This record gives sequence, C-alpha cells and structure tokens, in this order.
Amino acid sequence: MLNHKNGKTKQEKATNEFNQIVVGNSLSKDAWRRLRKNKMAVISVILVSIYILLAVTAPILPIYPYDEIVIDHQDLPPSLTKTAGELMRDKELAKMYAQAWRQGRLVVDEATNEMLEDWVSRSKVNKVWDYLLPEGNRQLESGTFTWNASEQRSIDSREKRIANEIQISIEKMWLKDEQGKLSDVKHLETDEIVALYAKLLGVQANLLVDQYTYEIEMQLLKKIKAESTGLTDDEYNMMLRDQLDSMSTKNYDALVKENIYEKIASTIKDMAMEQLGTEASQAETTYPLNEKVAVTEYLTASVKATKMHDRRYYLGTDSLGRDMLSRIIYGGQVSIAIGFIGTLTSVLIGVVLGSLAGYLGGKIDYFIMRVVDIMYGLPYMLLVIIAMAIFGRNILNLFFALAIISWLTISRMVRGQIMSLKNQEFVEAARSMGASTPRIIFKHLVPNSLSVIIVFSTLRIPSFIMTESFLSFLGLGVQAPYASWGSLVGESVGGMTLYPWRLFFPAIVMTVFLFAMNFLGDGLRDAFDPQSKNQL
Amino acid sequence: MNKKTPKSYENMLEVKNLKTYFLTDAGIVKAVDGISFSLRQGETLGIVGESGCGKSVTNLSIMRLIPSPPGKIVDGQIIFEGTDILALPENELRNIRGNKISMVFQDPMTSLNPFLRISTQMIETIRIHQDISKKEALAKSIEMLKLVGIPAAEERIFNYPHQFSGGMRQRVMIAMALSCEAKILIADEPTTALDVTIQAQILELIQKLSKKLNTSVILITHDLGVVAGMCENVCVMYAGKIVEKAKTDDLYKQPAHPYTFGLIQSVPRLDKAKDGKLFSIEGQPPNVIDLPPCCPFHPRCHKVMDICRNQYPPTVDLGNSHEVSCWLYAEHKELADA
Amino acid sequence: MPEHNNSKQPLLTVTDLKQHFPIETGFIFKKQIGAVRAVDGISFSVYPGETLGIVGESGCGKSTTVRSIAQLYKPTSGSVWFNGLDLVNAPQDKLLIARKEMQMIFQDPYASLNPRMTVRQIISEPLTIYSNRNMLDPPMGKQEIEGEVEELMERVGLNRLFKNRYPHEFSGGQRQRIGIARALALNPKIILADEPVSALDVSIQSQILNLLSELQKERGLTYLFIAHDLAVIEYISTRVAVMYLGKIVELSASGELYHNPLHPYTKALLSAAPIPDPEIERKRKRIILSGDVPSPNKVHKGCYFYERCPNRMDHCATNIPPMKKISDNHEVACWLYQ
Repeated sequence: MLNHKNGKTKQEKATNEFNQIVVGNSLSKDAWRRLRKNKMAVISVILVSIYILLAVTAPILPIYPYDEIVIDHQDLPPSLTKTAGELMRDKELAKMYAQAWRQGRLVVDEATNEMLEDWVSRSKVNKVWDYLLPEGNRQLESGTFTWNASEQRSIDSREKRIANEIQISIEKMWLKDEQGKLSDVKHLETDEIVALYAKLLGVQANLLVDQYTYEIEMQLLKKIKAESTGLTDDEYNMMLRDQLDSMSTKNYDALVKENIYEKIASTIKDMAMEQLGTEASQAETTYPLNEKVAVTEYLTASVKATKMHDRRYYLGTDSLGRDMLSRIIYGGQVSIAIGFIGTLTSVLIGVVLGSLAGYLGGKIDYFIMRVVDIMYGLPYMLLVIIAMAIFGRNILNLFFALAIISWLTISRMVRGQIMSLKNQEFVEAARSMGASTPRIIFKHLVPNSLSVIIVFSTLRIPSFIMTESFLSFLGLGVQAPYASWGSLVGESVGGMTLYPWRLFFPAIVMTVFLFAMNFLGDGLRDAFDPQSKNQL
Repeated sequence: MNKKTPKSYENMLEVKNLKTYFLTDAGIVKAVDGISFSLRQGETLGIVGESGCGKSVTNLSIMRLIPSPPGKIVDGQIIFEGTDILALPENELRNIRGNKISMVFQDPMTSLNPFLRISTQMIETIRIHQDISKKEALAKSIEMLKLVGIPAAEERIFNYPHQFSGGMRQRVMIAMALSCEAKILIADEPTTALDVTIQAQILELIQKLSKKLNTSVILITHDLGVVAGMCENVCVMYAGKIVEKAKTDDLYKQPAHPYTFGLIQSVPRLDKAKDGKLFSIEGQPPNVIDLPPCCPFHPRCHKVMDICRNQYPPTVDLGNSHEVSCWLYAEHKELADA
Repeated sequence: MPEHNNSKQPLLTVTDLKQHFPIETGFIFKKQIGAVRAVDGISFSVYPGETLGIVGESGCGKSTTVRSIAQLYKPTSGSVWFNGLDLVNAPQDKLLIARKEMQMIFQDPYASLNPRMTVRQIISEPLTIYSNRNMLDPPMGKQEIEGEVEELMERVGLNRLFKNRYPHEFSGGQRQRIGIARALALNPKIILADEPVSALDVSIQSQILNLLSELQKERGLTYLFIAHDLAVIEYISTRVAVMYLGKIVELSASGELYHNPLHPYTKALLSAAPIPDPEIERKRKRIILSGDVPSPNKVHKGCYFYERCPNRMDHCATNIPPMKKISDNHEVACWLYQ
C-alpha cells in the first residue's frame, strides 16, 4: 500500500493516503467516549465511586464504631452543631417539661393547651416536646416556672455526668517479663493469658476454669438459639454438646483467650476509669487523651479516653445509641458487597453455563435449559428464604442463596448471544484453524458478548441490593450487630413517627445508590451499543 | 433501447449542486458534495460508484428520506416537473414520494412488511395516492402483478412476503413502485441481492416496463455490466462527487477520467482471454470525513500530477454532453476560453 | 496456464460427498421429516498448483461443499482424501495436522474477523493455536510469531504499523487482506476460498484477485475458489465446476467452458452474466431462465435442472444424468450428450 512507504521514511506514524495521521480507535475506547458524553452516567460513575470508596475505607474513617452501644445516647436527633451531651440534655428537659405540663405545673394559655392536647391525642408526642422545650426554658428564665427539688437533683446529676463522664478504650496491653522484655498480651498463649489474669486477680489459675467454661458455653448457646429458633432446651443443649465435641482444641483455646482478654481489658478499664474519673472531676485533663498507664509492675496498657458526651452524631443515633452515620457506611459495605459479589457469582455461573449451552447445543443445551426452566418456575423469594432457613442466617449463606438462583436470566441471555454469534464467519474461521472449544468460547464468543454482559450486570446490582434489603427488612438478612441498608430501614420502621431520621437517612442513601447504578447501566448500554437504546 | 428523446421534452428531474452532509462525532461526512445531473422523460440514467461514494445518499436526498439528524441537505435544488422538492412542505412531498417518484430497494425482504399480505400492502399504497375503492385497487394490484410476470397473480396476491422467492419479491416491489403510474423509478441496486439468472430477468423487466409506461429510471449500481446493458447515460461518482458524466457508449469506448478507465479495466471479462495481470486501482476508497481540498482520487490515480494534490479539478465539457472533472482535461477548457 | 495432467497425483480428492441437514420436528422426541440436500453426491479432484473454481447460484451448495471439505460440518457420506488421509474418518489429532495444510478465506470481510481482536492477534491466531499444541514445525517463540505476523502483513500489502488496530478501522479490501494473511500464516498447501471477492467493490476486487494469483505463483498454492460471478471464476481458475442444486453439472477447463459450454444451465449462466460493454450487450442474445431454483429439500427422480431447462426431454424427468467425459478437459452431466 502507498502509505507504508511514508511510514518508514518518516517517523513511524500511521498515516493514510492523504498524509493525515490516523489515530487508533478500539471499540471500548469508542464506548468510553460515548459514556463520557452522557451527563447522568458520569454523575452516576462519580457517585458510585464515592460510595465504594467510603465502603472500602470505612475501618480507617474517623467515625465511631458501628456496633458501639451507648445507652445514654438513644434516639438522638441528627445535628450538625450540638454535641451528644447537649442533645441529651434537651431531650431529657423536654420530657421533664412535658411531665410538668401534664401535672399542671407548667402553665400555658388555653389555645396552646388545646393544641398540645390535640397533638397528644394524635400521638405526635415529638411535636409536644419540640414545643415545650423552648417554652419551658423561657418560663424558667422569666421565673414563672421552677423545678421541684427532686427534678433539680436529677438535672444536676445529669449535668455532672455530661460534664465528667468519660469513655475509655484499651488500645493495647503489654506484659513485662522478668528480663524486662515487653510482649503484646494479644499474642500470648492461652495458658499464659489465663495465668496473667489469675495473677491480676490474685487467685489460682485453675479456679478460673469453671467460670470461663460456663461463659463460653452460654455464648455458644446464645448463638445457636439465634440461628435456629423454636426448639426445646434439651435439643439446644444437645446441639451445644455436638458443637463442643466437634470443636478442635485450637478453636476452643482461641475462644478462651478471647474471653480472658476481654476480662483483663475491662479490669484495666475499671482501674483507669477510677483514676481518670477523679482527674476529670477536678477538670485537670483535656480530652481526648491518649496515654500509657502502668497498671501493675508487670502490666502496661495504652489507654484512650474521650469525653463520652462530647460526641457528635451528624445523622443521629438509633434506639441503642449507635451512630447512624457509621451504621449507614458499614451497612453500605454489606449491601454493596452483596450487590457486587452476588452479581459476580451469578454472572460467572451464568456465562459458563449459558455459553456451553449456546455453543455445544444439542443434548447439553436441552438439559441446561430445562434446568433453567424448572428453576424459573420455582418462586424465587421462597427459595432464598428456604435456603436461609436451612443453612442458617449469615451473610455468606445469603450470598450463596442469592447467587445460585440468580444466574438463570444471564445464562439465557448469554446463550442467545452465543447462538447468534456461533454461526458468524470468524467462529468458523477459528474452527477451521483447529481452535479448541474452550478457546472458541472464551477467546471469541464471550469477549463479543461482553458488552451485553457488563450492561446486564450493572443493571443487576441494584436488584440484588433490593432483594437483600427486602430479606433484611423481613428479618432474614444480615443479623445484628451487622447492618445493611435494608436492615437499617427495617429496624427503624417501628419508630417512624417519633424518630424519622432513623428511616430517612438509610432510605435516601440507598435510593441514591440504586438510581446511580441504574443510570450507569443505561449509560453503559447506550455507550456499548448506540442502536439498542430501546431494547433490554 | 429508447433512442434519444426529442429536445422539446423538458427535463423530468433536475438536480443542481446537491450537497448532503452528515454531522457525526468524528466530523462532517460530505456524503454528497455538489452534484448536478438531469433526467429526461423515458430516459434510463445509471449512477455508478463504489460503496460509500454517495450514490445511495443521492437517491435518498431526491426522496428527501435522509435521516435527520445526523443527515442534512445543506445546499442545492432538486427540480421535479418545475418545482423544487427541497422547498416543498411535507404534505405535498408525500404526494410526490411513492406516487410520482417511486423506489425499489436492494433487499426486497426488508422493504416489505413480513406481517401483512401482499394484497394489503399494495392496496394501501395505491389508495394513499389514488382516490379509488378497495375493489378497484385490488384489481389494479393484480393487473400490476401480472404485468411484472407473477404467475397466478389472483391467488399469489393473498400470500405473505416470505412465501415468495427473492426474485419474485423484487418483482412485487417493482409492481408496487409502478402501481401509481410513477414518472420516475429509482432502483437502488435492485439486483445485487439476486442471482445472475434472476438478475437478468429483473433487469429485462425494468427495461420492458420503462419503455411501455414511458417511465424514467435512475439505476444505482456498482456493476458496470448492468449499466452497459441498461442505461443511456451514466454518472460515475467518487467520494461524493460526480467525476464523469457521459453517454453510455462514449463512456465505455473512451473513458476520460482515470477512475472510470480503471473501473472498466479492472473487471474481469468473460469475452476476453485472460492476459496475465488484471488492471487494478491501487489503494482504498477514501474515508469522506475531513477530506483535504484536493482531488480525492489522487492517491490511487496512475496519472497523478502535482496540481491534483492541492486543488479539486474543474468540470470540463468534452463535447457530446461528455463531462469530466479531472486536471488532465483542464487545459481544454483554458484553450476554449482563450 | 499450468495445464494439469493426469499422471500427477491429486492433492485433494472428493468422492461422492453428500451433506444433508436433517429437518426435525417434535419438541422432546425429535423426528426427522426430511433433509436439506445441500450437497448431493459430488466428486472431483484438485491437482497441486491449480485453481479449481466452483460456480453456481446461491443455495446450490458451493459454500457447503467447502465447509464439508474443511470438516466444519461432518459430511453425511462420501470421502475427502487430502495428503493421503481421509479427513472424514480421520482421528482428531491427524485431522489437526492435516488442517494445518488447508486454510480458508471467507466471503464477508466484516463477519470473518473477530471484532474484539487486534490485527496482530487475528493473524497470529493459527500460529498460536498450533504452537500451544506443539504442532508447529519448527517451533516458534513469541518473538518469532511477532516477526512472522509483520512479514505477512507487508506481504499482503498492509502497513505493519497498523498491527495493533482493530478490524473495524479497516476498509473491506484491507480486511480481506487480513483474512488472507491469516490463511497464509501456517504456510498451507491448499486454500479454500469461499467467495473471497464477492463482497468487495470492483476496484478492490481486482486488487485481491491479483494478490491471490501472485501468492499462488510465489508459494505454489493450490486454490479451491468459489464465486457466483462467472467472469471472476473464469479469470482466476484453471478448471471450473458448475454446480446446480448440490450437484456438479459441468466440469471443464476454464477457457473451454466459455467458448464451448455444453450444459443448458451453463449456457444460461454465461448468457445472463452482464458484460461491461454496451455494444456487445446490445447484440447479445440472452437465454432467460424461467422460474427460481427449486427447494433443495426435494428428492428428485430425474435431472435436477428439469423444471427450468429449455432443452428438456421426457427422458430427463425420470433419469438422473451421470457425469460423462466429452473430451480430456470436459465433463458434463446431461442427457443431451450421453
């Protein structure tokens, strides 16, 4: 060809016969260019990336642990400005004003009274609280209302708690041996740690055995009861025995170690609390505080102390005082993981079976497709529920149950694609070259149906998240203390009128993600195949 | 073959400086870039060119069927019986389209609706343009089918398109196109999808009907053999432009443009013994996006000169209505001017 | 013209090859209710260094013949002897070795290249496959395959700078060159070419035909060349087989076939092929065959061409004509010559 001479003499640049430089272009580049032109899809890509980033980095984000229960902080409303202490104070005061109003000590005019009565009768207690808090504060200031002695006492004690209460967490503990060498308590052997605890308490080590054996058994029993309900105590005990018998020594030792470690930690926590508590009441320390405390001559611990009521809950808390923000982020982790892993497994199964059925045809095709037909006939949700009931309720089983049922559609779709592709000449060409069946399927056929598969998977992720949410909503999905968007919504439906934020935030977050995924799927489909705009 | 029609006849169709561009992501595709030709009554005009040269776009422009966007007729006039089609409102256009100017497409299967009987489709077409009853329309349809040589037309008309073979379907298409007594029949590669023996049947049919009904025909094809047997005048298109226009005999005897010469030479001929290598035009047809202002054929031309690389050649009349756009003949014009 | 002589050993011998595709009905228990007789008992030999052309209309079974020879379909009966091996009954490993020497070129330059592979991957694929199976002699490393690909690209006239491009960035003619390079990669003895030029434009068609004949001279290739265009077949082939409805009706040296066609079908085909010369076209007398090619599902008692034959006799309706040698280079299956 003409251009090839040009190419050699000059710099090696690909030009056409008019000496115009020809820029390379692949189908995926083309698709990417089209995707970038679609504004909604670009916004969706950004949103989805933010979500995934948050979910992945959740453990290192400066948020409170998602499973940390602070009883004092139950049902605090979201606030950007107020600390937990202030919110707590407001909440308690509002309740006390309401009580005072009920007792007739807090006097309001006739019209207001009627309005408040009306709210109470329509069980809109939160409106009453919201109204009475500023009203009470105003009256208290102008002197028309005073607390009685017992109320004043409880207010004072709460104020003191809010000012002084601290929370201590043990980051790490070290054991000093005779040579003065430090070793991490976490890495001690089981008998060493038991010995350490005994030394700490000043008792014989063998006296502890009964206690921890009992505790571990109780712990296991609780777990068994949560996984399978409705059995008799005897049966539970039998299951417990079975489990203990079948457990290896190593696993049992690990349980013991965990149990004792927690105990040592809580002992140290108590000791530190005592020490720091006095310091705090004298307002001598500033928080948060990180320090290394020598508990005894052989035990050192690094302790972190924060003022409990200085916490801020931007999205409020739930009924156990857990931070909604971190629960939503961790819940997102679970929901998104279920979406992606579920889709991935179902796509893998679906692509392999679908392409085998499509390419090989004949009896294999017939067999696979009849299996698909039969599974289509079974009620999808029922199967998942049954699977969850049989294999127990945990996240892995949920993944598994969703994946084994959701490959049906994709396998049919891939089969159709492969069947239309397998008579193309490039497949015949590969066959005439002696290419093996796996090579033809995975080098020629699957790459050519990849765009359809990608688009389908993207649109599939939201539906997985929806299914998981639905199951969690029914109480069949993830179990406490884990959270998912669905379980967060499910838990909060009860207190919907009193604590709307508990429902509102996870619902919004989930909706935005689902929207973004759907727009992204649409965008991808248009990008890969501009002609298919109205299909699928 | 229809001999030269008297000059007193007005041109049925006159295309002047037609430009149809497509605005794509990659740039402006000048699919048709300033072409002009005319068609007399009863004349058969051939438009020849390779795929992508703009011959189909030309004919879609005449019907104003360019998908828009991305396509747009940016300039030019198409004068049919004294009126400019491009200036007509849509409702008047419908009166011309399918009625006075009809089309036959390359693939007869895709241009017939597979879910409707032939009768339904034909009656509908006729009744859109003519104010006659269903019965009369049916009778007319049967008459047309007989005219195009479909045996047992009275029964076959109630069949569905898939019950016809490829050649028969193309006959039905021609019958439909001519059922409204069209003045112009545009046949876009009518025989490309058909076998040689069937192709011969269809071409003969078109020729016979055009003579009988005095219909003008625009035959769009890539096959020089088909043009040789059918047309009186030929336009050769390359990269959106007409590079040569002549009477068929002149064109084949003395092709002026190197492209036309190359095209004719590069077809293997049954009637000539093979003598070694076949003549061939090197290179590829150009991509019509962002063409530089040169002769688009110059990279493939065996008579290329310096000027060809920088400027598009003017159109030169070689006499006997033989026109060519090539720098080889530009001197002629200068001489004539002087 | 390399005259073949019978003392030479044929490279490929096809004997009574039949390829029937069952027509099945029923949902679970499939029942065969008939068969599409795509290829219905054909025999021929191909000698080293020659080009055997197969010509016929669509549906005559010429593409199926090639695919049956390449064992893309398992033939219903008959044998295909290639290089001293019967491919039909050969075990898988022997077949793979034999296939190395037998490569294919396909009709559609768009569908025959995997759109998700780069040109480099496409051309190197046969080498990679055989290299992975350790059947390459001598074995080639990655680097050597790379070099081979570049060499092949330059040989078929492609710029090697384009080796990492995808097929959709090339024009039809360039894609066909890629297909040819792929077929040449394993250095085969015979190339089965299934209508390699019928989807190409006229100017590109002659380039590809020239390339194919150059390669034949350089590498001593043997071609089995399929086309529906008689002129192309006549130009490229040493001998030509005319197929009709799954049977060979005439087999002759190519010049002989044009000057002295014997079978009425061959005569009709030749007369229907348009010639790009208006004067000759006007003078020619066409034999227009009536009707279409009948369905290949039917079992025939007599000559397959009986329904459309202009010279049919009563004898033809009930007896299938055998192949008869008329002269050294000419065989025909027709009762007129028995």
